[in-house]
Amino acid sequence: MNFALQLITAGLAVGSVYSLIALGIVLIYKCTGVVNFGQGGFLVLGAYLTYALRAAEIPTPLAVVGSAAGMAIVGMAAERLMLRPMARAPLVAIMMATLGMMILINAVCLMIWGSDQRAYPALFPDGALDMFGIFITYNYIAAGILSIGLSLGFLAFYRFTNLGLMQRCTANNTKAALAIGIHTGNQNCFAWSMSAALAGLGGTLLATLNGLSLGLGSIGLAAFSVVVLGGLDSLAGAVVAGLLLGVLQTLTAGMLTPILENFLRAYTSVYSVGALQQVVPYCLLVVILLVRPQGIFGRKGTERL
Amino acid sequence: MLRHLSPTIFAVLFTLALLFVIPWLDRYATYLLISVAIAAIGALALNLLTGMCGLINFAQGALMGVGAYTAGNLGNAGWDILAVPAAGFVTAIASLVIGLPALRLRGLYFGVATLAAQFIVDYLFKILEPITHGVSGLPIRQLRVLGIVIQNDRMFATVCVLSLLLAWWAMYRVKNTDLGRSFLVVREGEIVAKGMGIDVAHTKIWAFLISGFFAGIAGALLGFNARLADPEAFTLGLSVDYLAMIIVGGLGSLTGPLLGSLFVTLLPEAIQRVAESFGIASLLSALREFTFGLLIIVFLIFEPRGLSALFRKLMFQRDARNRKKASYLNNSTQQPQGEETK
Amino acid sequence: MTFVATDVSIRFGGVHAVDRLSLSVSPGEILGLIGPNGAGKTTFINCISGASRVDTGSATWDGEQLVGRAPHEIIRRGVVRTFQNVSSLHDLTVLDIVKLGEAAGRSSRGLLERFWSSERDRENGLTETVLRPLRLADIANQPLQTLSYGLRKAVDLARALAARPKLLLLDEPVAGLTSHESATMAEVIRSVRDRIGCAVIMVEHKMHVVNSTCDRIVVMASGAKIFEGSSQEAQKDPEVRRVYLGEA
Repeated sequence: MNFALQLITAGLAVGSVYSLIALGIVLIYKCTGVVNFGQGGFLVLGAYLTYALRAAEIPTPLAVVGSAAGMAIVGMAAERLMLRPMARAPLVAIMMATLGMMILINAVCLMIWGSDQRAYPALFPDGALDMFGIFITYNYIAAGILSIGLSLGFLAFYRFTNLGLMQRCTANNTKAALAIGIHTGNQNCFAWSMSAALAGLGGTLLATLNGLSLGLGSIGLAAFSVVVLGGLDSLAGAVVAGLLLGVLQTLTAGMLTPILENFLRAYTSVYSVGALQQVVPYCLLVVILLVRPQGIFGRKGTERL
Repeated sequence: MLRHLSPTIFAVLFTLALLFVIPWLDRYATYLLISVAIAAIGALALNLLTGMCGLINFAQGALMGVGAYTAGNLGNAGWDILAVPAAGFVTAIASLVIGLPALRLRGLYFGVATLAAQFIVDYLFKILEPITHGVSGLPIRQLRVLGIVIQNDRMFATVCVLSLLLAWWAMYRVKNTDLGRSFLVVREGEIVAKGMGIDVAHTKIWAFLISGFFAGIAGALLGFNARLADPEAFTLGLSVDYLAMIIVGGLGSLTGPLLGSLFVTLLPEAIQRVAESFGIASLLSALREFTFGLLIIVFLIFEPRGLSALFRKLMFQRDARNRKKASYLNNSTQQPQGEETK
Repeated sequence: MTFVATDVSIRFGGVHAVDRLSLSVSPGEILGLIGPNGAGKTTFINCISGASRVDTGSATWDGEQLVGRAPHEIIRRGVVRTFQNVSSLHDLTVLDIVKLGEAAGRSSRGLLERFWSSERDRENGLTETVLRPLRLADIANQPLQTLSYGLRKAVDLARALAARPKLLLLDEPVAGLTSHESATMAEVIRSVRDRIGCAVIMVEHKMHVVNSTCDRIVVMASGAKIFEGSSQEAQKDPEVRRVYLGEA
């Protein structure tokens, strides 16, 4: 029981970071109708930027904020340079372009920092907390709290501020928003830069948990499971689904894998199930798409994209 | 003059020319020819599903892997050249398995489903050790055609070029049938297609089967070429490579995949030359990726219809000018049914 | 062989888009379906062609129920419709579209036939039976994209005819056409009916076209049928006048 709680807690922490990344994807989709396949690229770049800033002896809080700011600029650039010229292009083309963008960003990171895994600078103090028999490192606590905090903060911003209101208008009906005088170009720009910043922060936090390497980008793709599970047009759904997925992953790694391996070893010649927890998001994705494509909180009909 | 030849005859002549040239090619050129031929077959396959029928497919890498593993196992068991079409059939089934559940989904959601499939199949390649030998890869015996061992690159290149001709010819025939036309209409929109009486599910199923078949062929040849089927070779990266080929080449056309596969396969080679002359060879793979990503974006922004559209524009610029002149003079032959309103 | 619609109804939310509509058409007859905007005419066509669901009611052709069937099954039974908005489809030519129409009306062919049939014979057949009567034979190989709106509508009609319809559903066939084109289209519709003896339901706004082609008309308003009879009688009917002209 204790073990399960341990896994769940870790899962919540990791899951909250997934939520953060997924939030960005949903944000861009709601505002512009585009699905950003390149979110993984933003993730990785953000992590590397924090790394670079820390390597330049800049204190942690400033490095993290600086990285987020840098990512916001990257997001803005992406919107201006790539998305605006393609405003009237078919959706398929735009999505492929975001994929191209991810390849581009990955290549830039590869060029500057190389392909080796790097030890991530400690952003939070070492050590762990022992709560009711559950052992949890400060890294995980910090990642969890920061992510949930940022996510909820963003949700509040979206719901309660003027800018958030304008975002919601643009998301709901671009033509109507234009008609009442909202500069949709600026709104799109904001959505992209915010999304990139959120992804960058998520990347930084993930790197503190998993180490820094280009492989982080694939989590950007796993975030799509979160998005689909929660509902492509639901911000709250992204948060909830991220947490669910995180817990599912840790429970799989901690409990399902050993059980499955014992079973397989006894009855077949298959020895190991490898990284089962990494493929779990995708199995979940397939199940959701078959059973309830609009996700937990999505509105029916959004899957007719 | 060349344009007036039937495309089939042109293709056959071109293939014969290639076959004639093979004995004169050096090792490197033969290697390039094989790479391009295999890529072209895979690109033609993906083009049918994604380019013509509009179903975004991220699982091309996984499907080619299915082809490679199937052909490898059958080849090792003595199936000779039959291992290749057999791999095609198995991959067609696999393609249908991936596609069927996703039949109800459209556009993006369908793409995401294929993305999931790519990762799941990837994972299966790694753990189904009895069939795939897991992460170490499945060693594959040399290809045999009717008992003759294909023991050097030149012989293998011949096999690849002939396979490409067959693949192209099959695509050409399909494009000119009702099924081929239905693909294009389904791509425009399912509502339009249904309204015209097209059985959309039926059309999509055939798209999966045919596309899967040729993806399997390409994968099989890839496996026989490398003499190994290895999970690392059939990842999302390969799927993205092929998507780039059909985008850059031009979605939907028949020349598009050919141009695109040529371009994308030769690109790393060109970059290698440039990098070496500038002394930045260490950044090679990063440069390739960078140019790749940049090209995809640039093409999508400026020439979404790809190289084949550019090609056509250049080739037929003279024609277009002449046609304009003629129509200006022969106004009376226009619009048999009254004035133009648009 | 008649078409009989009985109490066809469909609701969107609280609105009765089509409210217990009943009508019938026989082969060789052209029935005009008219009414003010929003009356539910196109929705009705959508219902019986399978493009839209039907909440209650039935629509039968030759005794066979059409409600609940997929569009391609309905077309295979000879009930074919045209569209108001004719989009351009990639670089498909006029002949391509017409071939697709023909394939839709045909029951399944074998796999081999699909790949090996003589395209040349089929093209000639379609050109003679469908393109020439509509004066489209000269532009058979032009891509749809390059044609004017009027020509595209003609191609859409050709597509529908290629499916060998027994009941033709025309959705505003002259909308967007010049008066010259409208007259030509009206003549074409009449000659098609004369030639192949199909039944026709025509949704239309332009009264002169309705008067010159339709044998009978049905007037709809707010989803329901408010009048059925000849065009002259319709002009005198008080309910029809109220719906079109307001309270007198």
